[in-house]
Amino acid sequence: MVKRTGKYELVSLYALLAVCLAATLLPFVWMLSTSFKDTSEIFTKSPVFIPKTPTLQNYRELFVRVDFLMHFLNSVIVATGVTFLSLLVNALAAFAFAKLNFAGREKLFALLLLTMMVPGQVTMMPVFIILKSLGLLNSYLGLIIPGCASIFAIFMLRQFMRDIPDELIDAARIDGCSDFRVFFNIVLPLCKPALVTLLIFNFMGAWNEFLWPLIVMIKEERYTLPVALANLNGQFGTDWGILMAGSVVVVAPVIIVFLIAQKHYIEGITAGAVKG
Amino acid sequence: MSKTTKIVLIILGFLGILSVFATGSPAMAEKTEITVWAMGSEGKLIREMAVEFERSNPGIKVVTQSIPWNGAHEKLITSVIGNIPPDVSQMGTTWMSEFHSMNALEPLDGYIAAAEAEAATAGTGTSEVKSPGSAAEKKLPFFEGSLASVKLPGGVFGMPWYVDTRVVFYRTDILKEAGYEAFPASWDEMFTMLKKIADIKKSRGEAGYAINLPASGGLDFLPFLFSAGTEILDSGLQRSAVRSNESTAAFEFYKKIFTSGLAPLETAKDVDIFNAFETGFYPIFVSGPFMISEIERSKPGLNGKWTTAKFPAGRTSTSFIGGCNLVIFKESRNKDAAFKFVNFMSTPENQAKWYKISKDLPANPAAWEDESIRSNAHLKPFYEQLRSVKAPPCVAEWEQILSFISDAIEKAVYERITVDAALAGLEADINEAVRKDGREQSQGFKIAMVLLLIFTFIGSLAAYFKFAKAEKDQVSHRKPSPAAYLFIAPAISVLFIFLLAPLAASFMISLTNWNIYGVNDYSKIIFTGLDNYIKLLSDPVFYISLRNTLIFAVIGVPLSVAVSLFSAVALNNRFVKFKGFFRTAFFIPVITTMVAVAVIWRWLYNPELGIFNWALGLFGLPGQNWLSNGYLALPSLILMAVWKGFGYNMIIFIAALQAIPTSIYEAAEIDGATELQKFVHVTIPMLSKTTFFIVLMTSIGYLQFFAEPYIMTGGGPMNATMSVVLYMYNHGFKYYNLGYSSAIAYLLFGIIIAFTYFQMKFSSKFDA
Repeated sequence: MVKRTGKYELVSLYALLAVCLAATLLPFVWMLSTSFKDTSEIFTKSPVFIPKTPTLQNYRELFVRVDFLMHFLNSVIVATGVTFLSLLVNALAAFAFAKLNFAGREKLFALLLLTMMVPGQVTMMPVFIILKSLGLLNSYLGLIIPGCASIFAIFMLRQFMRDIPDELIDAARIDGCSDFRVFFNIVLPLCKPALVTLLIFNFMGAWNEFLWPLIVMIKEERYTLPVALANLNGQFGTDWGILMAGSVVVVAPVIIVFLIAQKHYIEGITAGAVKG
Repeated sequence: MSKTTKIVLIILGFLGILSVFATGSPAMAEKTEITVWAMGSEGKLIREMAVEFERSNPGIKVVTQSIPWNGAHEKLITSVIGNIPPDVSQMGTTWMSEFHSMNALEPLDGYIAAAEAEAATAGTGTSEVKSPGSAAEKKLPFFEGSLASVKLPGGVFGMPWYVDTRVVFYRTDILKEAGYEAFPASWDEMFTMLKKIADIKKSRGEAGYAINLPASGGLDFLPFLFSAGTEILDSGLQRSAVRSNESTAAFEFYKKIFTSGLAPLETAKDVDIFNAFETGFYPIFVSGPFMISEIERSKPGLNGKWTTAKFPAGRTSTSFIGGCNLVIFKESRNKDAAFKFVNFMSTPENQAKWYKISKDLPANPAAWEDESIRSNAHLKPFYEQLRSVKAPPCVAEWEQILSFISDAIEKAVYERITVDAALAGLEADINEAVRKDGREQSQGFKIAMVLLLIFTFIGSLAAYFKFAKAEKDQVSHRKPSPAAYLFIAPAISVLFIFLLAPLAASFMISLTNWNIYGVNDYSKIIFTGLDNYIKLLSDPVFYISLRNTLIFAVIGVPLSVAVSLFSAVALNNRFVKFKGFFRTAFFIPVITTMVAVAVIWRWLYNPELGIFNWALGLFGLPGQNWLSNGYLALPSLILMAVWKGFGYNMIIFIAALQAIPTSIYEAAEIDGATELQKFVHVTIPMLSKTTFFIVLMTSIGYLQFFAEPYIMTGGGPMNATMSVVLYMYNHGFKYYNLGYSSAIAYLLFGIIIAFTYFQMKFSSKFDA
């Protein structure tokens, strides 16, 4: 007999989730509502969540001041490029680290883990000089290639792949599968939840990146959306309405990607696929 | 192996497609083209001036480009290092010495003389051309203070564009109630008036203060120092001159305003200045010209109830002068055209035009004759103040000196140390910062050092792979697979080029004195061995930042992982509906821009209006200054970081939970396990690998704690939220001590390794 969760437990669970919900959505709601407020309403004592006189003025102004389509396309090219290339590159490496045997495997992996512990900001100057000598400044590749290999992603996928039983892989090998067949036909489908997670993270990371695109992209036509929007800030004054409209525009695609990607979280995806 | 080639082809094909987008072909330009960089909204507005310039100079095409303010400094420095600067750029007056020290700017004396000679021969001068022949710089028609920022050793290195200074903004109606028709002209009178205003407010039970000043100093404190007559550096700009009776007077006066309760010790950052000005919470504050249009725009109801005034006099009434110049870079290929543009922007007519477009105050006093400026009463005090201003000392280390001044005044205001001790410390800090390393090293020695370090690096890598003890190998029974190298090749080559090699390079940098002077001139860089590390070990701020970082990690990591695990398990419960909705909602803080998050959290933590103090009030507890109290600031940031980040780990946990076969749960249920038993005996063991991963990653992330203090507190109050990475960032990209900054990174690296080593030892017990 399957034991059902008690009603009391479920109600308290919902109550807790509701509190978390309110806490997590608050800033987002404020951002959204501010983007529809006119100037006089933005400067009030405590945040107003429902604008009295909603206006689209901030969005209109945003699209006048920023060549939206151009920067949006730049962002799309960079973010999708990084996302898909990095899924492939990192999954390939993770598979080798998890399931293939080669000399120096564990040592190499430990070395990679070590490098994660140096704060990233410190390599900015050397990486800039390398990109310049490779002629990659001001190009999409200059943002995509350095971003496509990530130790975090390799580590995470490796942890998932190690949970795939060796028997499954051995059985495929006996059937005559090459390592690449095993990787594409058996391992990748089993890692779907992890791959979806990485897809979300990669996209989000590449989409929101600010300082690096600013430095790599010499010409304004190549700025990604966050860089272009940062230009709306004055040295001292900030136009909050437009800034928040811009933030909504930046965040929206990430939420859409998240909503599409998370559909692939299907409960118990591997249930039954592996017995043992 | 045909599969292998396929994959290689797919990757190559993908890269090929991308490279089509990669670089646009440069436009075939018959005209001379010059690139002009300006910051933020000015970068957009300058287009209007460029169009006008092109009309009168048909042979020149101006490409304007706007650079966001936050990031402008990094962008300019990388462009100088990469030898790809624009022809012309806007440059803050306090950045001039820095870029001049990098040898990046072109002296303009020759161009100015030529332009004047040309104007003179053109005969009947349209503008007042004065006697030719004498040194060009003498005749430049700008405010004295502006000129000081472009006259650097070796000539004139820019054209003043617009100016900025600080004056007093005040509510005329509130001052009238206290019996004042105009703002007092001296410090003593000002203090008496502030007292009167405070008393009136107190008698009416009104909230607020008499004046808003930042307890942490900054630019707003400089007018006090300058009005007292302080010199920050001696005339040779080689040593501090800050420890003087004048400085003591300024420090004591500033401190007295706070200790008498006339200005807010703790709330300055958390109150919206426009509302506070409107309600009279702060009837007086100190600010710059940009504030005039901001108040007019956001508080039209205040018109007629406020105005501006010159700074009250200590010894004199002296404010500081800032603003921006236009500079031409040495690397520019079209310097003549660039100068034409710079010169065009400096004429009185065009500076007046620029004022109308941008509201930036002209650096050319003649432009102030324009009707649009003369008619604005709020601007008159600015004009008077600009006749009596002082420029910060022209040294490349100015940003760092300013931060030392802020630290010193903050400590004095909070009465942590006496004014005398604060000034003594300030003097020592400034002297250390401007001290020049006179040592020189031969080219040969440096090349030998670089080669030696490269060989040591390669050698230690080789030794590591040959001699290090390997971890237990999970699949050692299996045959080595040669295809494995193909699998790792793409990732490893990218990581080697863009991570490993740069890391090795930055380690090398940590053994040098690479600073501003070495940016564009590698001969100035010398190897100093472990000097940076030794200096770091006696740097008190480093220890404070280390302590904060450790506290942040030790409290934040378990909290964050626990919340993530709980929410993931709750959302994986079969009986919870709307899973997708909750998942998205919990992930939203992760993706919401830090700016919006910061706005909301400042409000939540606001001492007067925030939710936290409201909640404390319900239990009859006193409200707290969450972000400006030295003990509460760090925990407040931890709470915010956990809130912002838990959705990230939640997603990873959910993915891992989904990978647990449901058959195991079913088996447990058949055996009669309760929910709790299933959680403890099935979920937790099955998640051990993921939990290990998450704890490790979260620890590394928390030890590199940066964004929250950077945006919310700037490391304050008094370094209570200064983290190691923020400290490193300040040294690297604010003060440009690359050597020292790299040393901080590597010391942190060592600490994280130690931290991780213990975690791995601890967890190896359950990591199969």
